[in-house]
Amino acid sequence: MRTAVVIPAFNEAEALPGVLAELAAAVPEHEIIVVDDGSTDDTAEVAAAAGVTCLRLPFNLGIGGALRLGFRFAAGEGFDQAYQFDADGQHDPSQIPALLAGLEHADMVVGTRFAGGDAAGGGEGGAYRVGRGRSIAMGLLRWLVRRATGRRFTDTSSGFRAMRRPVLELFATEYPVEYMDSVEALLLAVRRGFTVIEVPVRMRERQGGQPSTRNFRLAYHYVRVLIVLAAGMGRRNRLGATT
Amino acid sequence: MSDTAHLVFAVLALCALGLIIRLVRMQALKAKYSVLWLTVGALLAVAAAVPGVLDWVADQVGVAYQPALFLLLGFGFLLLLAMHFSYELSRLETRVRTLSEEFALLRHELDEERD
Repeated sequence: MRTAVVIPAFNEAEALPGVLAELAAAVPEHEIIVVDDGSTDDTAEVAAAAGVTCLRLPFNLGIGGALRLGFRFAAGEGFDQAYQFDADGQHDPSQIPALLAGLEHADMVVGTRFAGGDAAGGGEGGAYRVGRGRSIAMGLLRWLVRRATGRRFTDTSSGFRAMRRPVLELFATEYPVEYMDSVEALLLAVRRGFTVIEVPVRMRERQGGQPSTRNFRLAYHYVRVLIVLAAGMGRRNRLGATT
Repeated sequence: MSDTAHLVFAVLALCALGLIIRLVRMQALKAKYSVLWLTVGALLAVAAAVPGVLDWVADQVGVAYQPALFLLLGFGFLLLLAMHFSYELSRLETRVRTLSEEFALLRHELDEERD
């Protein structure tokens, strides 16, 4: 069983060495694929120095575009399963076995910061705290995804995810490339009939840096996801009629 | 329409037609856009050369206020064009994205060969 770790990285030369070292210690048998998303710093050099595979995009495509390239490469190289991992140190390597264990019962596993379906984040693994604005936004996304899929997901935007080869192949060509790719990817997998489960994981607080998006841009992307959801529901109905 | 207004309109239409023909001759436009803009230029030239033609068309379709017809046609044309450009842009963006993916994969293969 070959497992790929896909790490999208945009100007992460500072945090990346630590993350790569942690991964090498925790899961030496997994093959690391860093996707340098048009960085202007030494991200690619840092990855090369660590001796891991590094795919360099000529310009910044955004996290969704970088992930898609990583999945495409992993699918082409014949990996059996893959998982995403953040370059900024937010994800905890000790949680990887729990994530991958989920793949025994599902095609895709999402690591949730809010354990046991507790939306407020008070569950056993719920050491992760978010501000009120984000909390409201995440609640809205949860509700939307529930409407669209008929299923309840507690952490729709989590980027700590693992997938088996069939989903990897889907994502290799169709991974959503705009901001909020994680929500759309979740919907895509569910819609294509794959079983998606959540497992509780522990995550660290963001290490420095700021949230990547301003409020009005965030609002725009919410509207966009709303439209994507609506379009998807229409499609689902039409498909339902033919089958 | 007063004579002055008519003159201004004619000059503007001529300028537009001249620009279009120049661009087409330089082959700066793709063939499909050449045809499109030449048609638009020709229509403008006709409207400018024959002052009564707009009024006549408006009468035929039953539009009482002639300038409204002109504005409606112009607006509709621009709207369709903008939609078409959005479509083309989306397609181009997808292609550029795929190309950049291919590029990154090829660059990786090349790096491997060299090592």
